[in-house]
Amino acid sequence: MQALVTDLGFDVLFKGTNFTRLLGGMWVTLKISLISVALSIVLGILLGVVMTFKNPVTKAICRVYLEIVRIMPQLVLLFIVYYGSARLIGLKFEPEFAAVIVFTFWGTAEMGDLVRGALQSIPKHQYESAYSLGLNRSQTYFSIVIPQTIRRLLPLSINLVTRMIKTTPLIVMIEVVEATKVARQIIDANRVASPNAAFGLFFVIFVLYFAVCWPISLLASHLEKKWSN
Amino acid sequence: MADTVLTINNINKSYGDNLILNGLSLDVHKGEVIVIIGPSGCGKSTLLRCINALEPIQGGEIRLDGELIDGNSRNIAQIRQKIGMVFQNYELFPHKTVLQNIILAPMKVQKRSKVEVTEEAEQLLERVGLLDKKNSYPRQLSGGQKQRVAIVRALCMHPEIMLFDEVTAALDPEMVREVLDTMLELAKNGSTMLIVTHEMNFARAIADRVIFLDGGEIVEEADPEDFFTYPKTERAQKFLDTFEYESVKHHDNEY
Amino acid sequence: MYMKNTKLFKLLAVVIAVIMVVGVMAACSKATDADKGVTEAVADAANNADNGDSDDTIYRTLDQIKKSGSIKIGVFSDKNPFGYVDENGKYQGYDVYFARRIAEDLGVEVEFVSTEAANRVEALQTGKVDIILANFTVTEERAQQVDFALPYMNVALGVVSPSDKVITELSQIGTDDAVIVISGTTAEIYLEENNPEITLKKYDTYSDAKTAFENGQGVAWANDNTEVIAYANTVDGYTVGIPKLGSDDTIAPAVTKGNESLLNWINDEIKSLADEQFFHKDYEETLVDTYGKDYEEELVVEGGVIK
Repeated sequence: MQALVTDLGFDVLFKGTNFTRLLGGMWVTLKISLISVALSIVLGILLGVVMTFKNPVTKAICRVYLEIVRIMPQLVLLFIVYYGSARLIGLKFEPEFAAVIVFTFWGTAEMGDLVRGALQSIPKHQYESAYSLGLNRSQTYFSIVIPQTIRRLLPLSINLVTRMIKTTPLIVMIEVVEATKVARQIIDANRVASPNAAFGLFFVIFVLYFAVCWPISLLASHLEKKWSN
Repeated sequence: MADTVLTINNINKSYGDNLILNGLSLDVHKGEVIVIIGPSGCGKSTLLRCINALEPIQGGEIRLDGELIDGNSRNIAQIRQKIGMVFQNYELFPHKTVLQNIILAPMKVQKRSKVEVTEEAEQLLERVGLLDKKNSYPRQLSGGQKQRVAIVRALCMHPEIMLFDEVTAALDPEMVREVLDTMLELAKNGSTMLIVTHEMNFARAIADRVIFLDGGEIVEEADPEDFFTYPKTERAQKFLDTFEYESVKHHDNEY
Repeated sequence: MYMKNTKLFKLLAVVIAVIMVVGVMAACSKATDADKGVTEAVADAANNADNGDSDDTIYRTLDQIKKSGSIKIGVFSDKNPFGYVDENGKYQGYDVYFARRIAEDLGVEVEFVSTEAANRVEALQTGKVDIILANFTVTEERAQQVDFALPYMNVALGVVSPSDKVITELSQIGTDDAVIVISGTTAEIYLEENNPEITLKKYDTYSDAKTAFENGQGVAWANDNTEVIAYANTVDGYTVGIPKLGSDDTIAPAVTKGNESLLNWINDEIKSLADEQFFHKDYEETLVDTYGKDYEEELVVEGGVIK
């Protein structure tokens, strides 16, 4: 057992403050993704409503925005916002802040598209049925349309949230030290002493990501089950 | 005749160049049951939708108790409360239970107390034989059950007039009866009803007056017995003929 | 190669314009919860936009650094023993030791920025850091993009092989033999250019290459000489037969191109540190465990003077 612990590099975890540092890295990951997710949901709902407008100008703008997000790898967006902004207009973002911008930029587009889809999937007759009962426009939205939209939206947006969390390791490219970077630092610092530390550390990273994403998936399937009754 | 509840005066309705309703006029009296029939595309469903201001009209006017119905006016929600409408595809709210579907509008729109509305909803559900389903969700009900809930939902608002838009058209045949029985019951109790249907026997049984609509105009307007036995116009005759079948076998048997 | 990237960035500028509108909007709406510096940053941006060209404001001069009270130094955080983070979360290593001294002599706090190898030039060009002290090998191509100060270390390629079959010259490698390299390293590039007749076995990571070498997949392993020396010192049965291969390169601090006040100060600093043999002390503190006493004179450059 002792041999296994050493061989797979788990011992490295308990040297000094290594484990706390890993948790700290995970916190950076979580902080950035949760702020981005929260912003994406709020902005995405607004965008989704705008996307249902028939106005050709807003339609074209939304289209271009969505295409940019789809075509550009997130890594390119990170570089543009972090380095490009400094180069172009001398705007010096903190790397965490640049990461939040990029993730929000990406999340808002995807969320907006999901919201648009969910809104448009509510049949016209649901509105008419509500109107004919004497509900006014805002009563119809708040009692009928929005609750149904959220139910349709939830599984898809949970998927987006976990995807955003899982994409955060990219931010090491703009010098943010998050969980996987801390792991690499620890691996390197112990390269000679524990050459197999990579296994143990990435196993811990796996467990940490699992611990974050699994409850979210559980919540999603719980709500789905609850709402399908 | 009793008081006029609904007045339709010379209305025009078109989609682009396509004229759907052409100078149509109709008065509906309190307690009267009017059945509107006609070939598909004749504008009968559109007429109901115009009455509820779900479709704008391009000419003429519709008044309920003398009040103008206009989809753009501020008090349209107020007027719609007095008009109950039942749709072909039920249109219950899928995220709410049967009871919640029924009490939503009375509580939100009419600000009635939950206790009182729930009590009334339960009585109405009992009348249509669905009290045991009050906590079910729409997807757990059959089509016929859903349609009866939709009728109860409209009734609970105490409308002055009920509009029925081909309410049995989407139902399996064995469920049509339960819905029609519910409507007959309403008619017996003196509700004012405007019904679009293809059920000719039902129309004959329930109607005080039959309106035959074709090409956006009222072609014939008559007492149901007269209409179904001796239609006055050729168009109505032709239309009614499409519901008749000649037996191809057992020529000596009368059904 | 790098110039192409610069053009790419200019091309993308159009796209950025769109993105920035959204970005700045997002920035304004959430200045409170993520970063308080944002409002200032946006204001800065506006000022810079008025000035037109903002290149001359990208870097911070010596005075500005002193006035601000802290200096941002880009170092590696995962390249033991040059720049790494120890088990207590503290930056350590040969580069870091020097970085701390710079901050001390400037009378400012040091703020380490964890840097990726591929981003070192970019970080300087965009003013994300004041100095790069990250095992930065001086090359002609890089010298066009950043300003290098005097060197503080030598670097060359080295070849390690089993002690019972030491390879001291590349000609000893037969046609059936293979040499192990890590993809993307200077060793790979050098051997492909100068000794195309040698068969290379390439591995993506250090640990893969190490495992392959120890399992006899190749007769030798070529890498930075610091790497092979460190390896032979810690693993029994292996010898660095070729400690120096190809041209001598040096490692030096780098600043943003044009930042003369800072560059001159660093050069003066390196020269004056020779009096106390600072880099020898640095070696003994940080590198001796890995490389041993034998290579000290080989690796250390004191006072910026290459022997």
